Amino acid sequence: MHDVIIIGAGPAGLSAAIKCREWDLNVVVIDEFPQPGGRLLGQLHQEPNGEWWNGIKETDALLQQATDLNTDIRCGVSAHHIEKTNNGYIIHTNEGILESQKLLIATGAAESAAPVPGWTLPGVMSIGAAQVMTNVHRVRVGQKGIIVGVNVLSAAIARELQLAGIDLHSMMLPIKSSVTAEHAHPKKVMDGLVRIAHLAPSAFLRFGSTFAKMNWIRHLAVQFYPRGGVKMWGMPIHVRKAVKEIHGTEHVEAVTVCRVTPDGEEIQGTEERVDVDFVCIAGGLYPLTELAAVAGCPFQYVESLGGHVPVHNDRMETPLDGLYVAGNITGIESAKVARAQGEVAGLSIAKSVMDAVELIEHGIDNAIANVLETRKAASIQFHPDIHEGRAKVAEAFVEHTQTQ
Amino acid sequence: MDKMIICRCEEVTLGDIKDTAEQYDATAREIKLRTRAGMGYCGGRTCRPAVDKVLEDITGEKPGDQIPLKVQPPVRPVTLATLGGRTNDT
Repeated sequence: MHDVIIIGAGPAGLSAAIKCREWDLNVVVIDEFPQPGGRLLGQLHQEPNGEWWNGIKETDALLQQATDLNTDIRCGVSAHHIEKTNNGYIIHTNEGILESQKLLIATGAAESAAPVPGWTLPGVMSIGAAQVMTNVHRVRVGQKGIIVGVNVLSAAIARELQLAGIDLHSMMLPIKSSVTAEHAHPKKVMDGLVRIAHLAPSAFLRFGSTFAKMNWIRHLAVQFYPRGGVKMWGMPIHVRKAVKEIHGTEHVEAVTVCRVTPDGEEIQGTEERVDVDFVCIAGGLYPLTELAAVAGCPFQYVESLGGHVPVHNDRMETPLDGLYVAGNITGIESAKVARAQGEVAGLSIAKSVMDAVELIEHGIDNAIANVLETRKAASIQFHPDIHEGRAKVAEAFVEHTQTQ
Repeated sequence: MDKMIICRCEEVTLGDIKDTAEQYDATAREIKLRTRAGMGYCGGRTCRPAVDKVLEDITGEKPGDQIPLKVQPPVRPVTLATLGGRTNDT
């Protein structure tokens, strides 16, 4: 029986493990990927202040600390079920069963698909897959591609592909259907872009500020959006063009694109064929909660956090005794926030295993304050919905614990 | 558009889901059970948000705090040997 099992060796899981090891807890970290780091591994972008954020370096720094503390990190280990017992948790993995007193689920996020006809052809991939192939495996995803889905994640990764010398035709919306919903709606996409422009690298910031923050200016911007797109790093971004279909026999060969109205309806007679050999679909991220769900944790639906998130408090405790969560499973935010949340979770766990140590309590307060500061620093232009979303989850935690 | 596959593992198209919803006036759960959308190899990890959106669009069911299509273990593909308690089986 271990003191704690941590599922996920990304920024949240690793920083939590470091805190637990600093208090000499018996910790095992598992991750289904062959190497630790999680989605941090793929990240490479320029911050608004001009500094580069290199996920591989950030991972190395965390791993160094974890290794110095003799942390047991097991990669290629995948959990498929969790059972709660009277005194802890049983974690079923492909390498057998692990048992622990406390459990931290830091499984991060998964990508939502924004399907367009032809999306099952080889050569179509999610934007995150293109990122991992490029930055982690160093595999060229194709000769020339197009990005379907205009959002902060796809813009950041498009830049990474460009830096790797991959030719991108443009970035545009998916065609409107009952699946693509808000991703296919130019006005909503523009609202989203401007609202999150501050989270993105500097060129994106300039893109966002071009369209100002006032609602009527954004509407005008969508109405009179330049037909040639707005260029970012030399690549056209279109919010009034959509990919209608992906073609190919064995593999992607081309896409059909068309112009769309400000509400995302196709403008007839504007079809155009673009030759590409790969397509990246960017439908955004959602918290990867399967394991929390099978463990029996209650959920809250919060749109600004990316969907269903496990109910938890600011100490990263869930209503289930001994179950903790940290990172993107609690809501889609930056890796820095995930790392800060991991520290809180690690300290909360340490405190509960070690039986109320004053020093840890002080550390938890500081770590919680650090999460809030990190979140605030990421939101230079203030993102009201994230804060409201977090508050909603905190309220749900109080309700759940009161009814127990 | 109706020929577009939504659930890749079980090869369920947008048309299959729409037709099932209309024919049986079905709930989200019933559509899942009738079409097998989201019940394949990946456990719905790839198509879950897409299936949820289609169902929301068709049935008008807004997401509540419960996860719409219940998550069942195993949440990853595992071998029978693993389920039977044997590991390192070659």
